[in-house]
Amino acid sequence: MANRVIMPKQGLQMTEGTIIKWFIEEGSEVKEGTPLFEMETDKLTIQIDAPASGKLLKIVRQEDETVPITELIAIIGEEGEDFSNLLNKNEHQSAPEQTDVPKVAKDENQKIFEVVTNSKRIFISPRAKMIAQQNGVDFSKVLGTGQQGYIIEKDIKNYIEYSAKGTPLAKKLASMNDVEINQLQGSGSRNKIVKEDILKYVAEKNRGTTDSEGVIIPFAGMRKIISERMVESLHTAAQATHHIKVDMSEASSLKASFKKADKRVSYNDIIAFSVCRSLIDYPIMNSELTEQGILLKDYVNLGIAVAVENGLIVPVIKDAELMTIEEIGIMTRELATKAKNGQLKPDEYKGGSFTISNLGMFGLDAFTAIINRPESGILAVGKIEKASVVIHDEIVIRPMMVLTLTYDHRVVDGAPAAQFLAAVKKYLEQPYLLL
Amino acid sequence: MSKKTYAMAIRDCIAEEMRKDSNIFIMGEDIAEQGGIFSCTRGLLEEFGPELVRNTPISENSFVGAGIGAACAGLRPIVELMYMDFVYVAMDQLLNQAAKIRYMFGGKAKVPLVIRGQQGIGRGNAGQHSQSVEALFMHIPGLKVALPSTPADAAGLLRTAIRDDNPVMFFEHKALYATKGEVPDDEDFAIPFGQANVIKQGTDATIVATLYYVDKALKAAEILEKEGISCEVIDPRTIVPLDIDTIIGSVEKTGRLIIVHEAHKTGGVGAEIASQVTENAFMYLDAPPQRLGAKQCTLPFNLGLENAVIPQIEDIVKAVKKTTYK
Repeated sequence: MANRVIMPKQGLQMTEGTIIKWFIEEGSEVKEGTPLFEMETDKLTIQIDAPASGKLLKIVRQEDETVPITELIAIIGEEGEDFSNLLNKNEHQSAPEQTDVPKVAKDENQKIFEVVTNSKRIFISPRAKMIAQQNGVDFSKVLGTGQQGYIIEKDIKNYIEYSAKGTPLAKKLASMNDVEINQLQGSGSRNKIVKEDILKYVAEKNRGTTDSEGVIIPFAGMRKIISERMVESLHTAAQATHHIKVDMSEASSLKASFKKADKRVSYNDIIAFSVCRSLIDYPIMNSELTEQGILLKDYVNLGIAVAVENGLIVPVIKDAELMTIEEIGIMTRELATKAKNGQLKPDEYKGGSFTISNLGMFGLDAFTAIINRPESGILAVGKIEKASVVIHDEIVIRPMMVLTLTYDHRVVDGAPAAQFLAAVKKYLEQPYLLL
Repeated sequence: MSKKTYAMAIRDCIAEEMRKDSNIFIMGEDIAEQGGIFSCTRGLLEEFGPELVRNTPISENSFVGAGIGAACAGLRPIVELMYMDFVYVAMDQLLNQAAKIRYMFGGKAKVPLVIRGQQGIGRGNAGQHSQSVEALFMHIPGLKVALPSTPADAAGLLRTAIRDDNPVMFFEHKALYATKGEVPDDEDFAIPFGQANVIKQGTDATIVATLYYVDKALKAAEILEKEGISCEVIDPRTIVPLDIDTIIGSVEKTGRLIIVHEAHKTGGVGAEIASQVTENAFMYLDAPPQRLGAKQCTLPFNLGLENAVIPQIEDIVKAVKKTTYK
């Protein structure tokens, strides 16, 4: 039984995606769960894994083609299998252009072909039709947004804008930077304008106009989103900060015990696990200020901030309170890898309820973080460093770490925030309480 | 410029024209001593005397006919109908005589006649005193039809009507008489017929409105503006002749057309405008034209019911949204 590979929907807003690259050649073997192709939406570039194992019998949509969601793009099946019934109506749209046939004849042929194969009537407003014809748009490919799929002016205009000779990402960048995309020469395949063309153009333009010498980093994309979110957070939440010193001796022994048992558990995992427990104990830190009031969430979706090239993203471990310390560790590493490779799916970085940001590896003693709204708190983790501390009137050397909690004072007062932070400390210093 | 009510703009224009041309006289019910029930002829008797400002009996057929005869004989009569609803009594005189005389006499006779009066809702005057009847006169060739929506338009269009050598149906609106506006002091200020007024520029939809509905269309446009829909509001001012070019030009820009009037929707002026636009600019339309007008029933006496029969501002907003798919 052959399997259909369709353009997957990545996020609520997505209506179509562009195939960037097929990793497997037609006729080669594919394995379920291994990368099959790379695609781009208006939001992100992402690798999609093969949904089934077998032979890649047919690539229906080629690289650089923009395809509406759920439409057939490839077929996986067994060698020699008949898959013609899966192709049917999508096939003619991707038929290769016949360049040697006279133009008029070709158009007529195409028309007849479409009438024969596509018996579905297309409803389009006269104005939309006029604009489509003026711009040479084949409106049979346009998705109508009027009643019952009626194609209206807006649909054609959107289509023209979208199908300009650039990738969706390039167009997004172009519009964010006020670049007239049609002026540019594309460096992608078939001269398509890609992200790099826009960035290069912007950089060159800025070099000419700015007074100061130096390199301009385009203020766009993730950089701009981070900027907006951070400013929005500082403007909205009443952010206050607590610090606490934690003796990591016991956590260190716990980590060593796991290692002895051949299990990989990091300090970060122990901290994440302790935070989950503390959030259960103090749900006010795991809350969101909504229009109805303060929503105490009965789940912990733990965000772990990850530095990526030119930015930062916070993948979210869903239902972290139900996981073992090892599971948290596995999830953290998996999501961090995906984040660094730009493979995170929207539901893997949305819906967090509390965030941990660890910059200890850079040797920081302590730092404050900005709340990742709409969450109510964020924990900033510093380095673990041996320090002399006084215990029972004796100076001893202990691995110490500073935790810094930023909390939204609109929702949480100083005392409960302090209790939460003390609870995290308690679990880290006496990890057996986690049992 | 002087600030005047719609009623005073009409009165002053009549007086100014009568001073210039002694062939002009006015007649109608209660227009002399009483100055008309809406004061549109107040003070004219005192200034021009009973020969030129004449009360008539309640006999529209006779005095409209008398007006036509006087016009043919070289005078320039202004005939006031107390309610435009009463025009039905004089239909033969108007549609069979006034509208056809110039044509049937091979141009040897002309009918420089103005029939003016008020129509419409607003006072709970019930079925025989609240109608909007302009569409009937658009249908029969030979009559010009003016629909002033502001004091300035009332003055400018009335002057053109009085100076025209053809019969003109001049429809005032009872709810507009008390509205105020700037009117040019120039005693020759005239607005040519067949020149629509683009009152507000817009890009997303064209609203064509007449009389009382011009103001309502502007209010609807204001609401829509806040929701990001930019409306062009056009008052054709005369429906015979009709400046369809301005309306089509606007639709070519916006792609959407909404026509709103107080008269009944069925067979109304909106139907004619929608048809002409569809015939001539079909390919520019992104949505079917929408017509708004009174429901197909007799106008009720009760004010609440009256409002239920005629289109409201929200109805205009809804119709525009429908054409813009929002």
